[in-house]
Amino acid sequence: MPKKYDTPLLDELEKGPFPSFVTEIKKAAARSDMAADELGQLEKSYRDKRGYWKHGGIVGVRGYGSGVIGRYSSLPDQFPNVANFHTVRINSTSGFFYTSQFLNEMCDIWDKYGSGLTNLHGSTGDLVLLGTDTANLEAIFAEFSSRGWDLGGSGSAMRTPSCCVGPARCEWSCIDTLDINYAITQEWQDEMHRPAFPYKFKFKTAGCAVDCIASIARADCSIIGTWKGNIAVDQAEVANYAKKGMNITEEIVNMCPSKCMSYDGKELKITDADCIRCMHCIAKMTKALKPTGEKGASILVGSKAPFVIGATLSWVIVPFIKMEPPYDEFKDLIRKMWEFWDEYGKNRERIGELIIRKGMREFLEFIGVEPQPQQVKEPRRDPFFFWTEADLQK
Amino acid sequence: MEKEEVKKKIYELVEKSTGKKKLKSSDIQKTVSADAGISRDEVKDALRDLVDEGKLIYTYFGGSFVEIPPQQ
Amino acid sequence: MSAPQRKTDIGPPHYKQFLPPVMQKNYGDWKHHEIINPGVMVHVGNSGDKIWTVRMQSPRLLSTDTIRDIAALAEKYCGGHVRFTTRNNVEFLVSDEKNIEPLQKELKDKKQMVGGIGPMISNVVHTQGWVHCHSAASDASGLVKVIMDEFADYCTTKTLPNKVRMAVACCVNMCGAVHCSDIAVVAIHRKVPTIDHDKVKNMCEVPSTIAACPTGAISPEPSKKSVKINADKCMYCGNCFTVCPPIEIHDPEMDGVAIVVGGKVGNLRSNPKFSKLAIPFIKNNPPRWPEVTAAMKNILDAYIAGAKKHERVGEWIERIGWEKFFKITNLPFTFQHIDDFTIARETFRTAATFKW
Repeated sequence: MPKKYDTPLLDELEKGPFPSFVTEIKKAAARSDMAADELGQLEKSYRDKRGYWKHGGIVGVRGYGSGVIGRYSSLPDQFPNVANFHTVRINSTSGFFYTSQFLNEMCDIWDKYGSGLTNLHGSTGDLVLLGTDTANLEAIFAEFSSRGWDLGGSGSAMRTPSCCVGPARCEWSCIDTLDINYAITQEWQDEMHRPAFPYKFKFKTAGCAVDCIASIARADCSIIGTWKGNIAVDQAEVANYAKKGMNITEEIVNMCPSKCMSYDGKELKITDADCIRCMHCIAKMTKALKPTGEKGASILVGSKAPFVIGATLSWVIVPFIKMEPPYDEFKDLIRKMWEFWDEYGKNRERIGELIIRKGMREFLEFIGVEPQPQQVKEPRRDPFFFWTEADLQK
Repeated sequence: MEKEEVKKKIYELVEKSTGKKKLKSSDIQKTVSADAGISRDEVKDALRDLVDEGKLIYTYFGGSFVEIPPQQ
Repeated sequence: MSAPQRKTDIGPPHYKQFLPPVMQKNYGDWKHHEIINPGVMVHVGNSGDKIWTVRMQSPRLLSTDTIRDIAALAEKYCGGHVRFTTRNNVEFLVSDEKNIEPLQKELKDKKQMVGGIGPMISNVVHTQGWVHCHSAASDASGLVKVIMDEFADYCTTKTLPNKVRMAVACCVNMCGAVHCSDIAVVAIHRKVPTIDHDKVKNMCEVPSTIAACPTGAISPEPSKKSVKINADKCMYCGNCFTVCPPIEIHDPEMDGVAIVVGGKVGNLRSNPKFSKLAIPFIKNNPPRWPEVTAAMKNILDAYIAGAKKHERVGEWIERIGWEKFFKITNLPFTFQHIDDFTIARETFRTAATFKW
């Protein structure tokens, strides 16, 4: 029987309507020594108002530099069963789809070799197995990989890519997000498992500008589905929305950022040439409005959390690219970006930070993308610009 | 160049650097390919062998590095 | 028993095998969807086929017991098919309409929280916190729990002007989406770290430690083979600690959380936005952080009272103006609110137009 800790503070977090993570830890702690000590240490953190974990190190599975994150209690004498309490990242499926059969198998393996605690999912999108001893890592990897599952990314590597639900269940997706996500994952297994980048690199693929995967905020490379044609309007369905109480002038026309719509109480008109494809009208009137014509994606680069220069959102690099298998044009573009990063990037420098340091022009020239007004909010305001010899010859 | 020779060069580079500067995989690829006049892919391939054999390991200290495993 | 034969570089299994048959059949051919209630939506294919989604909130940190329960429910009602959302919700994928009622009932009997679809509050994106992170300045799971308890009605029944996306990050690393959320909590330190020079000498690389500092506050201390920190420049971010653990940043009495507002990731109506500082500091008060939930409720109530239908928090604030936001929420405006980091001058007002 695992050790039982008194947890008066954590017990307070079992009250209330939202499901409790404390209850989850307690369930695992009833049979796992590791989970029991996790609970005990967490209660101490709540008492002392500080964490007691150390990170980093040399743990992993043979051949890989990714997928296992070393984690150690800084109080190993008090909580010996979490002295080593490493994370294992399992590469999730595109769109986070599972079957009960897999979930049960995963639980069997994890109950045998780990704490019984998981995150479904981690912030990047891995299936996170939370806490095991160094000695179990090879067995866990063998159990998962022999069943067709692999480890995700960690460290200075390509991280586990993720995508929105896309064409599997959404009418708005302009690209096959799940297939793109799968293709990226399979193409760059080496880049994921054997860290050779200056720092992490994340891909996120969203089917449209609603961006349910937060790609524009959380990916070094954001792939966002878009279209070039018109929005098809089903006027009968427009009338239905009006009949059901939607104030089309207020809620749709007046909220259109490009002011490209009008409504006279009967007909909804769109000046498609002025549309910026923000998705508001389509999202609110999904039965009435549909994008048509050429579909593809915008490629944006550089978003990340605040370290070191402050948070960034991704910048438009390629305003439109066709995204069809085998995605060769896209893959070539990415390889050129990585070459640039490999050439100039410093340790722990994300690609977006490097672009700021070296300048957007150098990046665009290196990857072979022409300057286009879609890449900027506005042209520069200062008079300080470079002329290369080649520019002077033009 | 024979792969075994590339592996030897990589190992020596990591050994020489130990305790002075942690090397990233890309540092090793750049240095060895330039010194030996071979392609990055050849170095990468040899490095992969060394890691698979357990002679070198990946470590993480605020970034991923390649190092000699500590003596058990 | 010996472990089975390992394989490397195989990647995850192909996703198609995990999709319910109706999703495989209508893949890329969906017509529209409808929200039936905050916990259920239906997607309709051009073929006329339908798939219902029942969304259950999850603490993200799940025991295998609970995952087995989820698997059993999926087997009973969904042919075994289930997915997770980026906000860590569980989505039961129901192909047979007659299973929806019994599934909802069983979830209710199990006291699960079902909801979050539409203009609601859905699960809070968050980080590891004291549960498993080395750099946490607060817990994350605990904050999420008390926030979702506080706003439970807005997840299950009461609608908002638009969805309100919340996030919690246990330090300024922000392994969540705090920097682009409607209302979010980020844990911060407020004291210059202390340095254990003997350990720095053995454990850290001086150049990478110096490079980790966003404000250039760290410089070499050659006599000790270590580094020193210019206290005037330090903004207590803790990045040095991540690179060099003997630089200790934790301070239980000084650590706490800040609240940021007005961010979004979607492009609808207005461009994606960063979250901006509303409240620079609230002390850590575990286990239930009552000051944090009260502060968030104050902001949410102001949004509900003032926003037009479909306006996100950031769109509402931009329409009324930040000076008005501080006025109606009665939040003090301090030196901490005025940016002095990399984009400071972009944020200073350059017009004679503002409200009182």
